Amino acid sequence: MSLIDLTSMAEPDEEQQENIEETLEALKEDIPDFCYQCGKCTSGCEAFILLELEPHSIMGKSRAGFIDELVNSEEIWTCMQCFKCQERCPQDLSPVGVIFALKNLAVASGKEIPGGYQKMLQSVLGNGLIQQTKEVLNRANDTRKRDDYDLPPVPKPEDMNKVQQILMKATQEKLR
Amino acid sequence: MNIMRELGLYLGCVIPTEQYAYEMSIREVLPRFDIELTDLYGATCCGAPLRNINLFTTMYLSARNMALCEEKGIDLYAPCPICHLALTEAKKKLKENQELKEKINSKLKEEDLRYKGIIELYHTLDLLHDVIGLDEIEEKVEEPLEDITFAAHYGCNTIRPNNLDRPDDSENPQKLEELMELIGIETEDYPEKLDCCGGQVISDHNESALTKAGEKVEAVQNHGFDGMATICPWGQRMLDSKQDSSADTIGESLSLPVLYYIQLLGVAMGIDQSKLGLELNLSPVDKLEAIEGIEEVE
Repeated sequence: MSLIDLTSMAEPDEEQQENIEETLEALKEDIPDFCYQCGKCTSGCEAFILLELEPHSIMGKSRAGFIDELVNSEEIWTCMQCFKCQERCPQDLSPVGVIFALKNLAVASGKEIPGGYQKMLQSVLGNGLIQQTKEVLNRANDTRKRDDYDLPPVPKPEDMNKVQQILMKATQEKLR
Repeated sequence: MNIMRELGLYLGCVIPTEQYAYEMSIREVLPRFDIELTDLYGATCCGAPLRNINLFTTMYLSARNMALCEEKGIDLYAPCPICHLALTEAKKKLKENQELKEKINSKLKEEDLRYKGIIELYHTLDLLHDVIGLDEIEEKVEEPLEDITFAAHYGCNTIRPNNLDRPDDSENPQKLEELMELIGIETEDYPEKLDCCGGQVISDHNESALTKAGEKVEAVQNHGFDGMATICPWGQRMLDSKQDSSADTIGESLSLPVLYYIQLLGVAMGIDQSKLGLELNLSPVDKLEAIEGIEEVE
């Protein structure tokens, strides 16, 4: 299910298509020429060994203009968001920032959102948080609820419908 | 001599919906240091997980939660490093970009909210280490934990990226170690200290996430540590709550006690264990003899 289905149940409109083109252009400008492909980001990437994420290659491909290929790749969805690549880049670049931008582009262009993020978005739209209050187990395997511990109610917006409406519009907005 | 300080308790998502032990310990321990915690009842998700979908929405949600706290005229305490990072990033970006701030505020207006940008943000680590301070904590330690060596797990977003005011150094954080030593726990650096728990990809890459968590627990165990202390609900969820499934995933036997630091602090302050949620740690914390009276839950 794409974001459009989730938030408006409508077809992507032309204006939005233009927005996507614009964002693509903006992203190109954003991808700096001064990545010299040292690979430091990839050597420390938490998702490299298990999920084959290669931040330096994403930087290289972006710079070379292969944005569509990246937007449609599975690779961009493997980032663990540890921020090591950004922290350690000798050129002060942010591969993780480029990966977020690519994911945003993928979503805005109507690509299917991976199941986990889709559920989180649905939950945030429904009750404000990424998941409902859960029953958990203690070490003896007994079920425990939040209410068992004399904790105050879980925070929630007074008017969830209103917040939902604002959020639906917000998901169509661009950061810049 | 301490002046009562009021802070908005912003719990985020994972803490109030499943990591009850963290919340219980926070509510039990911090008031003993003259911190008054005020709940932010209208709060929502900080927006961090939605960065993957739409960065504007993340910024809007972060600003919304900060605006709720600003309305009360108090600073904000976010015990989850992922929330703390998202809020810190929003605060910085909205300070630098007035146009974006106005755009966000025009949406907040629909709920009669306004984000001003006057708020200070705290996480458990800097709140304990820098605001309350080591001396104040030391005074309250009644039953130091003896003869145990623990590893520190900071959580990625607690320390990175350092251009967004993190509570500790990005490559060589030491505040958690200092806090552990204060309550009698010995500690040492270890090569995997800054490794990620995999928590943020658990929903779409379950096996890889559990492998990350399992490998970190295994490393800590093999180094001979008696346990691990965390300050992140996502890290605790992976390293403690999911330790059994991590063990199955990597095909190793894992049996490492993992606790929130603030639970350990509570124990050292002599607080009743039932108030610290110790029955909810699923790792074998009952094998820690240093925690007097800790027993197998029946």
